[in-house]
Amino acid sequence: MSKLTTMKEAIAAHVADGDFVYIGGYICRTPFSAVHEIIRQGKKDLTITRSNAADDFDMLIGAGCVKRFIATFLSLGVYGLGRCYRRSIEKSIPHKIELEEYSNLSLPLMLMAGAMGMPFIPVKDMVGTDLMNVKSFMGDNKYKMIESPFDKSPVMLVPALSPDVGIIHVQQSDENGNAQIWGIGGDCQWGANASKKVIVSAERIVSRDVIGMDPSRTIVPDFKVAAVVEEPYGSHPGYTPGFYDVDFVFGALYQKASDTEQGFNEFLDEWVYGTKDRADYIDHYIKKFGWEAFHRLQARFGFSFPVSYEY
Amino acid sequence: MSSHPNDYIKPELMACCGAREIKDGDVVIVGTGFPTMSANIAKHTHAQNAVMMQESGVYDARPRRPALSVGDPCLNPGAAFVGGLVDIMGMFLQKGWVDVGFLAGSQVDKYGNVNTTVIGDYAAPKNRLPGSGGANPIGSLVKRVLIIALHDTRRLAERVDFITTPGYIDGPGAREKWGLPPGTGPAALITNKALMRFDEKTKEAYLVSYHPGSSVDEVRDNTPWDMKVSADVRETEPPRAEELRVMREILDPHRMIKIYEKRGYV
Repeated sequence: MSKLTTMKEAIAAHVADGDFVYIGGYICRTPFSAVHEIIRQGKKDLTITRSNAADDFDMLIGAGCVKRFIATFLSLGVYGLGRCYRRSIEKSIPHKIELEEYSNLSLPLMLMAGAMGMPFIPVKDMVGTDLMNVKSFMGDNKYKMIESPFDKSPVMLVPALSPDVGIIHVQQSDENGNAQIWGIGGDCQWGANASKKVIVSAERIVSRDVIGMDPSRTIVPDFKVAAVVEEPYGSHPGYTPGFYDVDFVFGALYQKASDTEQGFNEFLDEWVYGTKDRADYIDHYIKKFGWEAFHRLQARFGFSFPVSYEY
Repeated sequence: MSSHPNDYIKPELMACCGAREIKDGDVVIVGTGFPTMSANIAKHTHAQNAVMMQESGVYDARPRRPALSVGDPCLNPGAAFVGGLVDIMGMFLQKGWVDVGFLAGSQVDKYGNVNTTVIGDYAAPKNRLPGSGGANPIGSLVKRVLIIALHDTRRLAERVDFITTPGYIDGPGAREKWGLPPGTGPAALITNKALMRFDEKTKEAYLVSYHPGSSVDEVRDNTPWDMKVSADVRETEPPRAEELRVMREILDPHRMIKIYEKRGYV
């Protein structure tokens, strides 16, 4: 049975207020269309997570959708610190989110443990630092120090994470949700598979036969997937390898807008509340910046060497 | 062209300081900017068999433009390996394969501890910074950590406000006590005024060389701990002609490195 739906329906049906949500991407394949829809629908009290968060998490925080953030990092990259993130933590605007802080080793491994059905996982980082001294909503369950039962050395254990829903953007998927990626993975595969269900946003929907021509690229099998959305340019202003580049001009626009609370709200009015879906958003982009600017984002094309799985 | 042309800028000198720390055959984990520049200079000069990876999942990238982030799309085509964080940070870094890593700190202390979390009190910070990201695992697990920092009494500290990433923590024996792998830790602190190393016994940063235009006294005045000075302290060797040629002709023809001057690296 096809799970193809719209982003509006996917978010309405599968993201509830108070949910724990994994949102994939690493500038690479950010599910921005889904993030905008979460904001449009005014979702509240979410716990969000991913390693190396960026503008999409900043926006969710600024829009007031987030209660808790299991974090490693948040910045706008070349555009500096996340403005909404800072306003939330430093000035409680729109409210102060609660933070539980890990690292880009420990958090991916916590997601991996979740994906594997393991209760916890030992990690070799974080020890000896103030990351051990700050505990928030996870309390004493943020981590445990034990003596290794094997060699008596000190070992840090961190808990597995199992988000209620994982949202990822991929290059292609079939209509049942066999989702394929290529290029930088971040913690996407583990975050999606740690989640109780997955929303797949894809640049293109292909047939099950096309998936079968290169099955090694599949990172999530269809039985875990609750909804599939065909969403071209779904990562903009992030990128999807083979489809389009990072939009650095738009990055600067967001930085400037989010410098102030008013500017940020105007940004949301124009780009999120003022557009009804991703197609409308892209339409607005082309009207505002012109076809040439949009066209320049498109990736050049180069086929990889064909592979054969035949026997 | 003389062997040490004098038209270089400070970020170029600092990039060379980083490059000279890299040995042939090293496995280096890089971010963007300085680290990538340093590793690439090394690769084009004395360390042709050094290899690089980015935490996002990339090994041995062949970018056609300078990467602006560790997730930059230009890192994908041509790389020898593209996976994810669990591969690079788990399978390569945590397993102990990485020789050199770079850290940049908003605040760095005498033990090489780095703060990228908050300035001020954690619960009510003056400035909320990005957080650890890959910094903590890199500082915990690579064999030789190279720290890049601005040299003034605000960025350098006796003790950082928040230890995001461990250097020698609170002194000799601390890394061992916490079970961090033997033979890891900060190797050098590269600032816009000096190159420092960490004393084998006390684990405190001491002055090895001051950059041309600076002096032992100026470095001491801008260092907020009782800084020791190497017995054979000298001036930092300026960029060699070959290092500058590699930077300007091959790695960075548009000289994007100049943005570091605007960030205070002068």
